Amino acid sequence: MNAWRNFKTDTWCDTIDVRNFILNNITSYEGDKSFLEGPTDRTKKLFSKVEELFKMESEKGGVLDVDTEHVSSILSFAPGYIDKENELIFGLQTDKPLKRAVNPFAGFRNAEQACEAYGYKMSDKIRASYVYRTTHNDGVFRAYTDTMKKARHAGILTGLPDAYGRGRLIGDYRRLALYGMKRLIEEKLKDKETLGKRDMSEENIRTIEDISRQLQFMKELVQMASDYGFDITRPAENAKEAIQWLYFAYLGGQKEQNGAANSIGRISGFIDIYINRDIEEGTLDEKGAQELIDDLVIKLRMVRHLRTPEYNELFAGDPVWVTASEGGMAEDGRTLVTKTSFRVLNTLYNLGPSAEPNITVLWSEHLPKGFKDFCAEVSIDTDSIQYENDDLMRRDYGDDYAIACCVSAMKVGRQMQFFGARCNMAKLLLMTLNGGKEEKEGVQIAPVGKVFDGVLNYDEVVSAFESYSEWMARLYVNTMNIIHFMHDKYAYERLIMSFHDTEPERLMAFGISGLSVLVDSLSAIKYAKVSTIKNEEGLIVDFKTEGDFPKFGNDDDRVDEIAKWVTEKFYHQLCKTPTYRGAKHTLSILTITSNVVYGKKTGNTPDGRRAGEPFAPGANPMHGRDMEGALASLNSVAKLDYGCCRDGISNTFSITPIALGEDRDVRRENLVSVLDGYFLQDAQHLNVNVLDRQKLIDAMNDPTLYPNLTIRVSGYAVNFNKLSREKQEEVIKRTFHESM
Amino acid sequence: MFVHSFESMAALDGKGIRFMVFLSGCPLRCVYCHNPDTQKAGGKYFTPEEIAKKASRFKPYFKNGGGVTFSGGEPLLQSGEIVSCADFLKKEGISYTLDTSLSVPLTEDVKCAIDKCESVIADLKFQSDETMEKYTGKNLENVLLNLDYIKSIKKDFILRTVVVPKLNDTLDALLSYLKIVEKYEPRYWELLPFHTMGFFKYEEGGIPNPLKDTPPMEREKLEEIKTKLREKTTIKIV
Repeated sequence: MNAWRNFKTDTWCDTIDVRNFILNNITSYEGDKSFLEGPTDRTKKLFSKVEELFKMESEKGGVLDVDTEHVSSILSFAPGYIDKENELIFGLQTDKPLKRAVNPFAGFRNAEQACEAYGYKMSDKIRASYVYRTTHNDGVFRAYTDTMKKARHAGILTGLPDAYGRGRLIGDYRRLALYGMKRLIEEKLKDKETLGKRDMSEENIRTIEDISRQLQFMKELVQMASDYGFDITRPAENAKEAIQWLYFAYLGGQKEQNGAANSIGRISGFIDIYINRDIEEGTLDEKGAQELIDDLVIKLRMVRHLRTPEYNELFAGDPVWVTASEGGMAEDGRTLVTKTSFRVLNTLYNLGPSAEPNITVLWSEHLPKGFKDFCAEVSIDTDSIQYENDDLMRRDYGDDYAIACCVSAMKVGRQMQFFGARCNMAKLLLMTLNGGKEEKEGVQIAPVGKVFDGVLNYDEVVSAFESYSEWMARLYVNTMNIIHFMHDKYAYERLIMSFHDTEPERLMAFGISGLSVLVDSLSAIKYAKVSTIKNEEGLIVDFKTEGDFPKFGNDDDRVDEIAKWVTEKFYHQLCKTPTYRGAKHTLSILTITSNVVYGKKTGNTPDGRRAGEPFAPGANPMHGRDMEGALASLNSVAKLDYGCCRDGISNTFSITPIALGEDRDVRRENLVSVLDGYFLQDAQHLNVNVLDRQKLIDAMNDPTLYPNLTIRVSGYAVNFNKLSREKQEEVIKRTFHESM
Repeated sequence: MFVHSFESMAALDGKGIRFMVFLSGCPLRCVYCHNPDTQKAGGKYFTPEEIAKKASRFKPYFKNGGGVTFSGGEPLLQSGEIVSCADFLKKEGISYTLDTSLSVPLTEDVKCAIDKCESVIADLKFQSDETMEKYTGKNLENVLLNLDYIKSIKKDFILRTVVVPKLNDTLDALLSYLKIVEKYEPRYWELLPFHTMGFFKYEEGGIPNPLKDTPPMEREKLEEIKTKLREKTTIKIV
């Protein structure tokens, strides 16, 4: 059968260009949800088996099973099934559902500790095979300087991807479905030939080696699919195959790599084209189409990696970030919303609320009303989706970008990211005041400077902070350069990168945490009277803050300007140091759930925050300091300049149902207004929770009450019951916009 | 204008999303007041232009009919300034609603503030001079004069009554409001259950709380009363 029958042809036939295929063949959908279908009996039966497994997993402390005999790779496990007869889309990471594999490529000790944390022991076989092998982690530590190690130990630079996969990549998995692997291999061979004609610079040699590594794994993926009974060398011929091919491509990446947040991309418009063709040919109906999407989503909810407890501290709730981007507009003004966008959201009803896949709606003022309404309804009912500003991101990333992780945009298959964790800005301020010493242990990390004393003078503090952040920025970029040099060398993502252009544009994504703590602290120094309190060793350990000061989150320019200034300054300082492989510097204000850990590692701050208290997540104002309500808080965050924060500005918004309106219709309308209003101001991201604090307290005290309670935390969603008590308490403490 | 506080995201006091301006000072001392901290005059001063400027920051959210709601306290105590603010708001294309007890003399400023508003949320706290005086400290006279005016200029308005256990929580008690309600014909009559969520404000402000032993109004019971009331009148009850 001709795989491309009835498709409108264009340049996509001659070059690898999925965007061109989509724009030529997509059917925008401007209607409402009324066409949607519920789950079939088959879906219900299959999913009840999976739910049973989820329950067992949770009863076993979060990990159902670990294979300690095989190192995870594309071919290291025989095909796995949930219920072979009833599955529509096939493929698991290991031979059994939810069984986790060991992945030591990025760090051997890390993998070993992860096994031990759940009562398993890595087999001697694996151990022996790693004796003479260098991991990414080994490489990084060979090159780290003492200062880098100190900054890492003190927690000024935290969450660095130096012991596990860097993640945050989105392969263009649609390519496999559209072109088939045979064609993709041919294209890579052509690229290799072209590169072979250039002078052999270090970069050129590296790129040629990259292609060779990619080719090896492309062939392995063909074998993996063949073990499941599919021939992916040819293009997909119908919707079921398109989804299967696409999922295999994604799955192979998850087998090879344990990086956090390797996301699935922007797939529903692509799949919709195949579904429409099948429906027109009479081989599929709406029930069948929904069933395929439900089945794919079941698989995406089952992706697992083996993590250490330290990792879970940073990223709570066992997230994978199978981020799926929905909606958005094409550059020509058409909407990219399709019926399949609705079908994907509909899985939250058919299969219940869920943290994964991390459904991300690319919001535009111009999205069809039917879709806006449905999204708002789904948010109110499930708290499972997040929103990002398509009108803003399209300017930089065009109309075929997707979100990786929480807020990181990239052009699918054309850009990749060097993930860079984050720098603790609140701690950097304390280090500034202490003349380069870390405030908890008193270790001199940065060059020796003036130790502040008595009443703090704003201009002096700002000037000292600028020089320390300049120093920090350089250290940060250089640390990242080492990490990604070594990651490319020892843990290169062979399969995922094969679904990228051979010479992708690279972004190096830096991050900051503790923004609102830093900003409120600077505001306190500027508008109130802050004096230092020192310990016997002369180290500043606390502050006396007298008088009131404006706080971030009240739409007050006096302090919001400080927030803008801090982020813009730090971004420009980062840009001064060249990056590995010429990557473009980007910056995010995103903490995931690590705001709790960062807070723990940071001493008393001039804003009145006590040592150890959690930071606010992402770019959120500090809990309880936004006094003028939700929209004033949103307006403050909206002022941060995306131009300097192209890797995203995360904001989490929790509101009680009643504060949103009296009844369902009003709530839906008002939520749409909130989203429109926020994004019209060029804000980038909003996590939306519509729930009562009391419900969370009840769930914390009795997890059986709401087993599927899903909440948005910071760029992703978690099952509330999977959070530690400490994190649950922090979430409950966050500002809930209530009405009286 | 003397302001007690702002709330940028309110959804219950008017159409769409409301930017609430709680003005300070109130002529009444309702026993069930849930904002006792706004009763005293004073608070922070903002010029009408500053208030309008603040409100304009929320314009992007007002697409489905949202706008400013002046509440309090009693907003009409500052009618003159509301009128000046109204002109600045109009320039921004923002409408406003008044959330008022109507217990102020019907002055030219009050008329003008009502003229310029989009709609009025008017309290009908009690239905007789006697109960009104007993539980709020003032009689009904001003309320009725203001309602006469609102009706005469055909301004869109609704009536609101808080239903408080033991004070007015029976069918008979509420039936006795109907004479007034039916005379003025609001778009609808809203019955709100008394709640105790504002009690902490009494404690924080050291204000004696006359209803400190009164439980919240049970929603189910109120719904039952509403159902029965609907049989007795053509006025919409919510």
